[in-house]
Amino acid sequence: MSIQFPTLGRREMLLRSSAGFGYLAFAGLAGSVRCDEVSSNPLREKAPHFEPRAKRVIFLCMQGGPSHVDTFDYKPDLKAGEGKSRRPGNSRLLPSPWTFKQSGKSGLWISETLPEISKMADELCLIRSMHCDQPIHPRAMTQMHTGTAQFVRPSLGAWTLYGLGTGNESLPGYIALNPPPASTQNFGSAFLPAIYQGTQVGKPQLRGAQRFNGNGGSEEQLPDLNNSRLSSEQQRRQLKFIQSMNRKQLGAQKSSDGAETTGIEGVIESYELAFRMQDTLPEMMDLSKESRATLDSYGIGSGETDSFGRQCLLARRFAEAGVRFIELTHGNWDHHTQLRTQLPTKCREIDKPIAGLLRDLKVRGMLKDTLVIWGGEFGRTPDAQNGDGRDHNNKGYTTWMAGGGVKGGFSYGETDEVGYEAVVDKCHIHDWHATILHLLGLDHKRLTYRYAGRDFRLTDVHGNVVSSILT
Amino acid sequence: MRFANRALTTIILSFGLITPSVAQEQGEESDAKFTTEQLDFFESKIRPLLVEHCYNCHSSEGQGTRGGLAVDTREGLQVGGESGPAVVPGNLEESLLWNAVNHQDLRMPPRNKLPPQSIADIRQWIEMGAPDPRSGRVAPVNSQVSDEDIEKGREFWSFKSPQVIAPKTLQQFADWPKSDIDRYVAAGFEQQQLTPSPDTPAALLLRRIYFDLVGLPPLPSDVAAFEKDFLESQDKAIEYVVDELLNSPQFGERWGRHWLDIARYAESTGKEFDSTFPHAWRYRDYVIDSFQKDKPYNKFVQEQVAGDLLPAKTDQQWQENLIATGFLAIGPKALLEQNPRQFQADLIDEQIDTVTRVVLGVSVACARCHDHKFDPIRQTDYYALAGIFQSTETLYGGVRTQRNRQPSGLIALPIDDHNPNDQPIAPNELARLRERVRELEMEQMQARRMAFMGNNNSANRNSTNPRDSKNDRDGKPPETNNNPARAFINQAIYDQQIAAIKARISTVDEQGKPLTLCMGVQDRERISNARLLVRGEIDRQAQEVQRGFVKLLSPQAVELSTNSSGRLELARWLSDPSNPLTARVMVNRIWQHLIGKPLVSEPDNFGMSGPGTKHQALLDYLAIKFMEDGWSVKKSIRSIVLSRVYRLSSEVQKEDFEKDPENEYLARGNRKRLDAEALRDSMLTISGQIDLKRPRGSVISNIGFAVIGPNGPVAPVLPALSQNTSSKAGDDAPAMMMEEQARRTFRLGNNQSNPMEAPLYYRSVYLPIARNLLPRSLDVFDFAEPSMVVTIREQSSTADQALYLLNNDFVMSQSDSIARRIFREREKPAERVKLLFALMFSREPTQEELQLSMNFLRDAAELAEGRNSAENTFSAWSQLCQSLMATAEFRWLN
Repeated sequence: MSIQFPTLGRREMLLRSSAGFGYLAFAGLAGSVRCDEVSSNPLREKAPHFEPRAKRVIFLCMQGGPSHVDTFDYKPDLKAGEGKSRRPGNSRLLPSPWTFKQSGKSGLWISETLPEISKMADELCLIRSMHCDQPIHPRAMTQMHTGTAQFVRPSLGAWTLYGLGTGNESLPGYIALNPPPASTQNFGSAFLPAIYQGTQVGKPQLRGAQRFNGNGGSEEQLPDLNNSRLSSEQQRRQLKFIQSMNRKQLGAQKSSDGAETTGIEGVIESYELAFRMQDTLPEMMDLSKESRATLDSYGIGSGETDSFGRQCLLARRFAEAGVRFIELTHGNWDHHTQLRTQLPTKCREIDKPIAGLLRDLKVRGMLKDTLVIWGGEFGRTPDAQNGDGRDHNNKGYTTWMAGGGVKGGFSYGETDEVGYEAVVDKCHIHDWHATILHLLGLDHKRLTYRYAGRDFRLTDVHGNVVSSILT
Repeated sequence: MRFANRALTTIILSFGLITPSVAQEQGEESDAKFTTEQLDFFESKIRPLLVEHCYNCHSSEGQGTRGGLAVDTREGLQVGGESGPAVVPGNLEESLLWNAVNHQDLRMPPRNKLPPQSIADIRQWIEMGAPDPRSGRVAPVNSQVSDEDIEKGREFWSFKSPQVIAPKTLQQFADWPKSDIDRYVAAGFEQQQLTPSPDTPAALLLRRIYFDLVGLPPLPSDVAAFEKDFLESQDKAIEYVVDELLNSPQFGERWGRHWLDIARYAESTGKEFDSTFPHAWRYRDYVIDSFQKDKPYNKFVQEQVAGDLLPAKTDQQWQENLIATGFLAIGPKALLEQNPRQFQADLIDEQIDTVTRVVLGVSVACARCHDHKFDPIRQTDYYALAGIFQSTETLYGGVRTQRNRQPSGLIALPIDDHNPNDQPIAPNELARLRERVRELEMEQMQARRMAFMGNNNSANRNSTNPRDSKNDRDGKPPETNNNPARAFINQAIYDQQIAAIKARISTVDEQGKPLTLCMGVQDRERISNARLLVRGEIDRQAQEVQRGFVKLLSPQAVELSTNSSGRLELARWLSDPSNPLTARVMVNRIWQHLIGKPLVSEPDNFGMSGPGTKHQALLDYLAIKFMEDGWSVKKSIRSIVLSRVYRLSSEVQKEDFEKDPENEYLARGNRKRLDAEALRDSMLTISGQIDLKRPRGSVISNIGFAVIGPNGPVAPVLPALSQNTSSKAGDDAPAMMMEEQARRTFRLGNNQSNPMEAPLYYRSVYLPIARNLLPRSLDVFDFAEPSMVVTIREQSSTADQALYLLNNDFVMSQSDSIARRIFREREKPAERVKLLFALMFSREPTQEELQLSMNFLRDAAELAEGRNSAENTFSAWSQLCQSLMATAEFRWLN
């Protein structure tokens, strides 16, 4: 018998997660169960449903809705239709002001705004037929993360952590770097146990203030990570005292009980992790030991690319350290106006850092089992808004994946001739979720959680794995 | 403003804005009343026209239903979209289609007008009553649940009335019980051959009683007194303390909070645009007071579902009843939703889900899209309830802006008790504010026009080479007057300014006197039945469903009045003694909070897919007793706390554990975790800093209308009024706005200017509950997610909790205060440690613990880096206090 985690109910989960060795000792006495039945730690690594292609995820979330027709979705017909109105009520078409060219052996068409990423074209698997149900930012963002904008549901990262556990006991298993404002729900665990929610590292950023300092004070990274009064030696003594009190409590209960599902072990473990995190997290965030060459390859230290470069490098460090799901946010892609000046700026900010990340992962042999995902909550209209801008478009846009089990230098799906909506091999956000879980070795239909009398899953009753992008 | 037609005046404010008028169903109209010629006219003239010019944007076939309007069904046209009904048969003026094709307020098709002949055809068609045969294609959805299924369902235990089942005669444990409750439980011991644990020792028991009833720890003196009484008579000692606590004001705060968990209480909308509810606190206080006063539970339910419709003898009663309906209004709201019909459908769904899960312990919301999967509840049952809520207007406040697309009014209360920070406005000032709104609206319209023109003109002008843009070359901001991008931004800023003034105006009456407002519901003027929606999709309407209740639970046919929503009848039905679920569901919750585990382990799932219970006889006994005792929550609590089951020690006997590891048969006590509130309140109680007075309003009511950002609330900024705006507003407005905004934006961090993070010393139940920004002291310890009905809180042990207890400034300042207290009260170190253990754990330290503590104090003082030894000593004591609060024992209730 093994743990039936896909259908593990909340109550049962809690019982197990708080069962610990007390329960085990007792179970041993009873001689009825084997040791591997019970996990003392709900974050312990768990076996996937089938052989995974990727072991971890780095999700590069582009907030605001990057224009697909100016980046990854080449539309020569848009040029031809310049100035014409495609449909009644729509503004005139705005051809991409930038040139597209074919890159890599695969010859993927990518815009000149992303020269460095273009060099990694053979690693990219473009999904050019994305669509979702929500035309406004926050709701689309929520759907992108949880599958639905209507209900409060666990996020993709929380489901992943629930399904797979994590590989590093000194770090949270799901880290959201530099989360955008008002996005807690997007990293939340909803009805899943709170332990699966994303830990937000780096202060939430206000709109228009995209600053991130990987070497910033720890207070910026996580609340209460530092003690304002005690030295680390003082705190070590204090922790020792707390833990000895806790162990006495545990021992006292064990001696009279023999066993009990006390949950005290859970508390003891939480202090151990917290204490380790106080050390490891600042260390993880400290990029000063990285070589100059590495820093340069991510664009760290040079103006525009510094901020996102730091995030990307941190993501690699977290991935290396065993964190299961890492999400990065890069904001301000909402180009209703000033597309011509703003889009290139945004592209420059991410271009080198992302290329650097992909290359670094590849060199370290990590790209093969790390799934890198890039995308925004939706794309933008091929027609103009405010003369030099584009409006929201959830009917068709592009995301891409790289590494862990996806075909490199591959393009999947198409939008119509100018990029209004996905028409060939459409990939709904549910399909996207199903595919990501599949790459992690999880069957989106079997990864369920019982809540309020029903088995819930990330994809609700939808979702098809896009198998043609798999290697 | 609208006056509700009640004996006592209720004013519904709509802030002079157009409240979203959700179009009501037009009722079933039979095709029979149209002649063949008339229908032919539709087929030959109108349908082709709709297909050619409208379907692309307004149908299920084209690019969707823009503005919520679908013209490919009769219902779609007549219900209309965001702006209202597109076609009102026989009424040109009311038909927005007519308005739009003539390019009056609306312009459709947007570019070119239809040819005159087509417009004439539309006129003729509407005037003849808009014959449209297309409705027939929506077939009624037939339920898979037969009448027999429902009949059979009524035989399921929880759908039958509670039964009096006498407890079995006891043999082995005949002397054990103290009460009937115990007789039921002891029968289980005998049957399962379990031996009950011993009774809990006095001090631990008192601790249990204190936290369970009032959520606070007993003082060492309370423990001493109780132990003394306990020696004389256990029963009397317990009874005395229990009655004392049930009557203390802290009881309502403790038990009110349990209700607020399931009522998904919060003071903001949550979701993507987290807008404050500055009046939600009245509902919070209402709930607390209701538990404090031991309001009969059936009455409590009635008030929350239909307080506005209940007779009220006094203004005081009327006020209370209206506030009670806040229950239906405080749920999360997706204010960004553009389609008012979708918003309305989701709002109703949230109300049905909450009411049925909270009161009935079953979810009828499952039946929104299809018949209930497990229980014989039809999709039509859902829409029968939906009709009741559709005929109800939900009032939660807000001001329309470009982002908040779904504001509503509020209810003005009869007795003046306005929010503390709401100031009067002098009449001339009020007039100026109104005038200013008008000016700003004019300016906004201009800016909007400018931005719109930009869309259509400058796409061409600039499109050839982006690098040519003039804007770029000289680096100067362009003239506002002809820059569409700037105009686009400006009109958004006007939007904010208008909202700020309207928000301010909305807090006062016509004379400028502050209004006393609450959230709640009112019947709509138009009462209507709902239409079933195929798969719950708003664009797929099927048959009309008579308003009513859940058939399974309501064997008698119900006739609802046609001139009221039916909520009053619903409220009475929910709280009727013949309802098989209501009393059971409530006593199960009471049991859960006292014993630590509910008798039905999923308290909101009493249905067939639920876990059921091993204790039906006990549950039914409690439910019947509850109703017999006049639905008194306090009596029910009292009877459980005085039972022997309640006294059982949580220590586990090995043999019992093997037989019943989950403690389903209650042979031992359940260890409980202190929840976030009890933990924080304990710290404050022990430090002596707790302020037991109830604050007036809440932090959020003091802030007023604001949007909760990640760094705290951002209030809309009232623009300066003295400024000569008509010429200036263009360029300066944005800069001024930003400056003001920065000043009014409260920030997190070390500075205390963020009111959400200010140190507060009152009880945790009064802390501000913004859905997207919970106080950290609550959030970190599994506080009930306020966007969901939470019946059982999580019990997690996370690193974040550990970090909070180790490093948080509030925790450390409490430790200092505790250290000061024990310094004041005791001289000798060992005595101080003993006092500390008494305060924290209601017990003496063991010799070993005493030694451990003394060693820690010595080491900590040595390591401390204060200016002198007194400081070092104090630091060590403060650390000890903090360490004990950080232990597992402090968080557990054994």
